[in-house]
Amino acid sequence: MEKRIGEHPILGKPQKGKLVTFTFDGAAAQGYEGEPISAALAAAGVSVHRYTAKAHKPRGIFCAIGRCTDCVMVVDGEVNVRACVTPLRAGMDVKTQRGVSAV
Amino acid sequence: MKRYDLIVVGAGPAGLSAAIEGAKRGLKTVIFDENEKPGGQLFKQIHKFFGSKEHRAKIRGFKIGEELLAEAAGLGVEVVLNAAVIGLYQEKEVVVRIGEAVRHYKGDAVIVATGATENAVYFEGWDLPGVIGAGAAQTMMNLHGVRPGEKVLMLGAGNVGLVVSFQLLQAGCEVVAVADAASAVGGYGVHAAKVARTGVSFYLSHTIIKAEGGDRVNAVTIAEVDERFQFIPGTEKRFEVDTVCLAVGLSPMCQLLKMAGCRVLEIPAKGGQVPLVGTRGETSADGIFAAGDVSGIEEASSAMIEGRIAGIAAAEYLGYAVNAELEAAIAENEAALSELRQGMFAPGRRGDMVEFTDEGIHVSVSLLKKGYVNDEEIARFTSASETPGFRPIIECTQNIPCNPCRDVCPRNCIKVESITALPRLNEYNACSGCGLCVASCPGQAIFLVNGDVGGGFANVTLPYEFLPLPKEGDRGVALGRDGQVVCEAWVSKAQISSAFDKTNLLTIKVPAEMAGKARFFKSKGAV
Repeated sequence: MEKRIGEHPILGKPQKGKLVTFTFDGAAAQGYEGEPISAALAAAGVSVHRYTAKAHKPRGIFCAIGRCTDCVMVVDGEVNVRACVTPLRAGMDVKTQRGVSAV
Repeated sequence: MKRYDLIVVGAGPAGLSAAIEGAKRGLKTVIFDENEKPGGQLFKQIHKFFGSKEHRAKIRGFKIGEELLAEAAGLGVEVVLNAAVIGLYQEKEVVVRIGEAVRHYKGDAVIVATGATENAVYFEGWDLPGVIGAGAAQTMMNLHGVRPGEKVLMLGAGNVGLVVSFQLLQAGCEVVAVADAASAVGGYGVHAAKVARTGVSFYLSHTIIKAEGGDRVNAVTIAEVDERFQFIPGTEKRFEVDTVCLAVGLSPMCQLLKMAGCRVLEIPAKGGQVPLVGTRGETSADGIFAAGDVSGIEEASSAMIEGRIAGIAAAEYLGYAVNAELEAAIAENEAALSELRQGMFAPGRRGDMVEFTDEGIHVSVSLLKKGYVNDEEIARFTSASETPGFRPIIECTQNIPCNPCRDVCPRNCIKVESITALPRLNEYNACSGCGLCVASCPGQAIFLVNGDVGGGFANVTLPYEFLPLPKEGDRGVALGRDGQVVCEAWVSKAQISSAFDKTNLLTIKVPAEMAGKARFFKSKGAV
């Protein structure tokens, strides 16, 4: 199923910025400028944002409003960036976070 | 250090309303909000609000958000976004992190309207990707236009769980079940009924045993619990899902008030730790007020009124309001608030098992256990007649504060005596079939029946907020209140009107004896 809602019965067509390209784990990906990184990833079918440090368990979106910090990723080399409240920009380098470091 | 007459923390329904009332009385007012956009949760609320005209009933939450923002802007309220208030100290010093900078402000009065945070619940696999808060689902689909998943299990049959389940359906997701450990649906019955009639099963006295999956949840198992919330072996039900939504309550976020030294009490009925507040939102700390969910979990309509009261009270505290005007304004708001706090769902009655409506009618047990009023019970409230002519069938069976149906009817067919009274028909023969009541009922509980359109058929007009909207002539099946197929049905009319505000009216033709049962339509292709 297409993850993006084409037309919503109440909200109509989602208002989005321009389509931009970014990098996810080294591969080219697309999303709309200004939407949260997590929205672009969810639309691309990505559920895992990071793996925990000790048990290496997958984590993804939980609260989607920047409160729980479960969705943090490595963005442009910076670790622990909350993907759900960080707007997507063209050319961003987004990586799955492993533990608390960028590698 | 920059000084303001009034500093409001949080630009949600309570904070915006507070700032509006303060600014109206001449207070130099600023709102700080940690989010990128203002409005709090209002912009995720796409359903029509309950209440009366004074409470902006039948207007959708996001529209109310737009109205509040425009009003605040018009009054010169400064709204600072991406601004997290991280400290509230003596003498009302407010510390705000804006981007990478930390700034200090002084407020002569401070209103804390920080709202609430979603609760979580722990079970095996609760930390898997795909297990999300119900609020997260709302944020993803209603703000960002992305479906949170394809097949969803909702845990929680309170208003949040019910409203979000319906929104998931509207976004095109499948809701496989709504489960709740409580023995009865906790939210408004009408919210449950509009989900159940689409075919979603309710499992009360059930909760999650475990979620399974690798990099994402792929199945969830629920089981029945006894009165002590222990699992009953042999009652397990497993669903293949890619998403589990948790709607298990909210907790007030009163950390700033605690930091400021306000007295805080643990009140379970209000959702946890809340500040001790007076009737005007005043806390135990001089010049610091609280409004909205931070002082007790309710909903956006009461949050807006609490905000208004706190804003007026702050103006009085600073000497900006003339006493007589102030008393009148507060009295008006208190009356509006007290209306919202009446009926079966009044804050004081939370958790009570209500057996009878205020009218003395035995409540629907099926509604509480399964999410819909069964055919036998509905006869206590309303009945469809097999005669020609339009007649509204009002399946509103609980005393909730709401009356738009009465106000929209151009022929005065519907009476709602006190705001929580069940609507009653007034000379129903005068009904013109305009459908305004069907479209304006926030609970989508009104149907228009023409009991005899010839050939042994009746027409049933129902509210329809899904896409695609079936077209005239489409064939399909009618579903009952329980979501089961009751008969074949044909679309005789599909009406879209700006007066209906996106609640389209679908008129289906069914055998006349099914007019009292047919409450939803599925096109043949979708069965």
